[in-house]
Amino acid sequence: MAKRAAVIFAFVVLVAASCGVIPGTSSGAKIGVVTDIGQLEDKSFNEYSWLGAQDGAKAIGAPAPQVIVTKDTADYAANIQQFIDQKYDVIVTIGFLIGTDTLKKAQANPNIQFFGVDQFVADPAPKNYQGLIFVEAQAGYLAGIVAANITKTNKIGAVGGRSDVPPVVNYIKGYQNAAKKENSSIQVAVNYVEDFNAPDKGQASAQTMINNGADVIFQVAGLTGAGALRAACTAKIWGIGVDVDQYNSLPDAKNCIVTSAEKHLQNAVRDALKRWKDKGAQGGNFVNDATNGGIGVSPIRNITPPAGLQAKIDKAIADMKAGTLDPLK
Amino acid sequence: MRQRIARRLSAAWRTASIPVLSTALALVVAGVVVIASSAFTGNGFQPLLPVGAYLQLFVGAFGSTTAIGNTLVAAAPLMLGGLAVGLGFKAGLFNIGVAGQFLAGAFAAAVVGASLATSTGIVAVPTAFVAGALAGAALGFIPGFLKARTGAHEVVTTIMLNNAIGFLLTWGVTDLVRAPGFSFPRTGDLGNSALPILLGRNLHIGVPIAFLAIFVIRWLLERTTVGFQIRTVGANPNAARYAGMSPLLVITFTMALSGLLAGMAGAVQMLGVIGFYASGISANVGFDSIAVALLGRSNPIGILFAALLFGAFRAGAPLMQITTSVPVEVIDIIEALVILFLAAELIVRRVFRIRAARAVPEEIATVTRTWGEQVAR
Amino acid sequence: MNERPPALEMRGITKRFPGVLANDDITFDVRAGEIHALLGENGAGKTTLMNILYGLVSPDTGEVLVDGTPVTIRDPSNAIAQGIGMVHQHFMLVPVLTVAENVILGQELLRGPFLDLPQAARRIRELATQLGFDVDPDVRIEQLPVGQQQRVEILKAIYRGARILVLDEPTAVLTPQETVEVFTVLRRLQADGAAIVFISHKLEEVLAIADRITVIRRGKVVGTRRPSETSDVDLAVMMVGREVLLRVDRGKSHPGDVVLKTEGLRVKDDRGHEAVRGVDLEVRAGEILGIAGVAGNGQDELVDALVGLRRPAGGKVLLGGAEITGAPTRRIRDLGVAHVPGDRQRFGLVLPYPVEDNLVLTSFDEPPFATGPLNLLRNDAAIDEWSERLIKEFDIRTPSRDVRAATLSGGNQQKIIVAREFRGANRLVILDQPTRGLDVGSIEFIHRRAIEKRDAGTAILLTSADLDEVLELSDRIAVMFRGHIVAIFDAAVAERDRIGLLMAKGGAAAA
Repeated sequence: MAKRAAVIFAFVVLVAASCGVIPGTSSGAKIGVVTDIGQLEDKSFNEYSWLGAQDGAKAIGAPAPQVIVTKDTADYAANIQQFIDQKYDVIVTIGFLIGTDTLKKAQANPNIQFFGVDQFVADPAPKNYQGLIFVEAQAGYLAGIVAANITKTNKIGAVGGRSDVPPVVNYIKGYQNAAKKENSSIQVAVNYVEDFNAPDKGQASAQTMINNGADVIFQVAGLTGAGALRAACTAKIWGIGVDVDQYNSLPDAKNCIVTSAEKHLQNAVRDALKRWKDKGAQGGNFVNDATNGGIGVSPIRNITPPAGLQAKIDKAIADMKAGTLDPLK
Repeated sequence: MRQRIARRLSAAWRTASIPVLSTALALVVAGVVVIASSAFTGNGFQPLLPVGAYLQLFVGAFGSTTAIGNTLVAAAPLMLGGLAVGLGFKAGLFNIGVAGQFLAGAFAAAVVGASLATSTGIVAVPTAFVAGALAGAALGFIPGFLKARTGAHEVVTTIMLNNAIGFLLTWGVTDLVRAPGFSFPRTGDLGNSALPILLGRNLHIGVPIAFLAIFVIRWLLERTTVGFQIRTVGANPNAARYAGMSPLLVITFTMALSGLLAGMAGAVQMLGVIGFYASGISANVGFDSIAVALLGRSNPIGILFAALLFGAFRAGAPLMQITTSVPVEVIDIIEALVILFLAAELIVRRVFRIRAARAVPEEIATVTRTWGEQVAR
Repeated sequence: MNERPPALEMRGITKRFPGVLANDDITFDVRAGEIHALLGENGAGKTTLMNILYGLVSPDTGEVLVDGTPVTIRDPSNAIAQGIGMVHQHFMLVPVLTVAENVILGQELLRGPFLDLPQAARRIRELATQLGFDVDPDVRIEQLPVGQQQRVEILKAIYRGARILVLDEPTAVLTPQETVEVFTVLRRLQADGAAIVFISHKLEEVLAIADRITVIRRGKVVGTRRPSETSDVDLAVMMVGREVLLRVDRGKSHPGDVVLKTEGLRVKDDRGHEAVRGVDLEVRAGEILGIAGVAGNGQDELVDALVGLRRPAGGKVLLGGAEITGAPTRRIRDLGVAHVPGDRQRFGLVLPYPVEDNLVLTSFDEPPFATGPLNLLRNDAAIDEWSERLIKEFDIRTPSRDVRAATLSGGNQQKIIVAREFRGANRLVILDQPTRGLDVGSIEFIHRRAIEKRDAGTAILLTSADLDEVLELSDRIAVMFRGHIVAIFDAAVAERDRIGLLMAKGGAAAA
């Protein structure tokens, strides 16, 4: 009998302890993040948006945010709803596929602020739902300038994730256009692997380009791209990362990444939270581009930058700000 | 009377013991992983973390009517998919193509559903649903027919079809049925074709349909002559031929029916939850279904419980993540361990000191059977 | 004559399986440099004896001596360690691996953590040359003809240091040319001092190759002879047995119309060789036609063709005058043909099914067992009642009708099939090895049922490798040899010795 009592007591203690793990309700805003399909530490959208949410929470004095990692398309709505049920004040969702459900939830919950990373919110947009979009072509353009100025073979390549995902295509178009403008004799090999999660395919694709003489590879392909950069490193040529500074996020390829075409996701999410704190409900779309520091290229690594490269980059950014440079042309 | 009940219970336990104990063991081992990995997090070493995590998982899955609704909604496609795989196992077939058949069903349901978005629901819902089921059946028929006609192994053909159909549907949604007004290629909104919500927030009519399917398939297998043929072809194709059955016909029929169930899973998920087809939507159900069928020992009732368990994991995971910061990947670990322990039954027997010898379950045998062995010629 | 103890000696080996005395006090030895043949019918106990020798089965009593020292053989690796090598009837080779890889499998030659295949190949080539083989170690097994594969098996045994080589029916799968070649190899091994046990049921082969021949029948040694002091007739009598067995009184038959007729029937086996080469047969209502023949002379293929499991390559099959050549099994069954298959576990039963389901395996979709539209629904009540009746009527010893068939003894499993197939009014019943491996009681039961069936006016075609069975049951006896019917006798005038010889040697014996 005593034994049974002890067991029950232990259980009660355990339950109490486990409840203690639940963060206490703080007076500050509760911020929740629902990721795109994949993992949190994807060195890409999920991770940097999540870091941005953490930065933003700190900046506005809110308690640490919480995250739900999505594993299946069918779970988007349920995951968002979980935060709604738990009475969160701000919900950040990541990726364009989750946009449809985010819109529905925003319409149904006008008192909760929604931010959608990489989501374009069509009119009529709810007042409490803002898409955070990026001008990928600008970032790709800057990467193209770098590639054109460091290639020795006059052959460069780009490995794309899917040809039906507009941001991927825009990056690569900007990259191509910049390279051609820098040096019209340059050859740009482009391959869409049609898969974001296949490092082996990325590696094979990059290897083909390298075999054909390419000495700079730009990856726009998630985990697939990590494989492309690995191929670049193995072949001792240069790689260009995407979305975030992959020199930091991809230690594997640290020694061959020259730069990365960046969406400043972390800044974008952080700034969005600040806007919400400062100005209240945010709606429509917020374009992150050269004018507000929403895109850029990472610092040049591993290589002494050719003379005048930085100047060319600065000039391009200035022209973009001024609206005189269209990276898609 | 009491004796008979006791006998039935002990028979049920004989079948269910290994799956149940495998699940228990998986939870324990995953718990150890959680404890060990907690040492590397900001919160430091937390020996009690798994208790809290599992508790929240349970609350998230069964703690409220909404939670139970979520569990049932997540379980419904797994029931249908599990039946699809389990039915194949019964006939000695390993349908790995459920993922592709699921996508085909989801796509067809989405396209037909969107085109009937403004029709009355009485017409739109059944039409879209049946379209999805038939698309799955058509896709299941192909490997069945190929196997019956040429002996091509269904594992090979279904895996290849999974890939092929994925690309085909991406092309379809990009170039054929792309709906205007969206920033990426997707099908239009479902409107009146969406499955009616019966209860609460999201408990749609697909849930009772899935339950019904469980009992229909059970009835088919146990109570009809067709089911007898399916089981005979699976248990001993030579005896089936000897008895005058046609394994080729049975195989083709079973694969088509399996595809039909997988297509229904896709239609339920599409019309009840996802709402639109886009390239990149998950086909996890297709692969989880294999796990569900294995855990359920390809018995429809077993599949029902296995699907509810996996559905509960899925439904409970968000709350667990929010409240305990234990990552959702723990669920993947648990599910993988369950299958590992099922396959490595010996470990489970050792741990729980189960003695009775048992033949290798037929579904495991089907999975592990060498390709050289021809079921029918 | 030889002071040294035999390389291998088995003394007083007895092994009892449930219901069968497989080996009954068998004593047997083989000396170095000798080929000793073990001759017996299928099921005589040869294979059990060799499985004991190879550690796959442990004897109830008796001992095994190697070079005069008693040894205990627990498992095959133990047997290999004692210098015993076994070449099985079905080769134990991995088709996708090379000869060298197969030979060293389990005894891998390593260099560091890696396989040293070149070294292994070199050693295998040396060994092959020494034995006079022509085998390329780098070729994959699947590319080799059967005869070569068998040499690889022999090579494997020798590579592992076998001095005592057991070959289980080595010529069963070989062409005559390959048989000659393997004999050459065996003589070479013999000259090198190997002790060879040659298991066979083919008379001319053992007479050609063996130094001594031991005949076993029904688990007992009948006698040992030297080829010079015996003859094929003598051996056939020893092998088939001359004592009169328990006989079912079958009475006189009253043959009616011709039920089954084949005309020039030709059937190919799985390897595409013609196994049935133009068979003309007639079976009349109310008579039993027995086909005597050593297993593997085309009986299986003949039966398969008659029941629709195998498409004939030529000729005709007529049932009651209507042609059923190449018809599907289903239709042939519907025309009133029942079939007790030779391999009961592979064809006749679904072992995981309960007894009752096995009792309706061939009638599950006919009323009253099926009801409803298109007979789609199972009628459990009818199946239950039917099963209870058959279990009683055919004395199937089972705890209940819902016990898995796998749990029953061989005799009771066979009774399930017989009960099922003898149901109703059939025109033709095909009994393929109906009593193989069964105990005496079950045999008698099944024989009695067969005669009753005959007397009820059913045509019965019986095939059996057991000549006693054929003699006991048949009204007429056809002898099948290498795909031909070489003779047909009226049972009343059939001579056992002559039939035994025809089974073993075919038409040449007639001369």
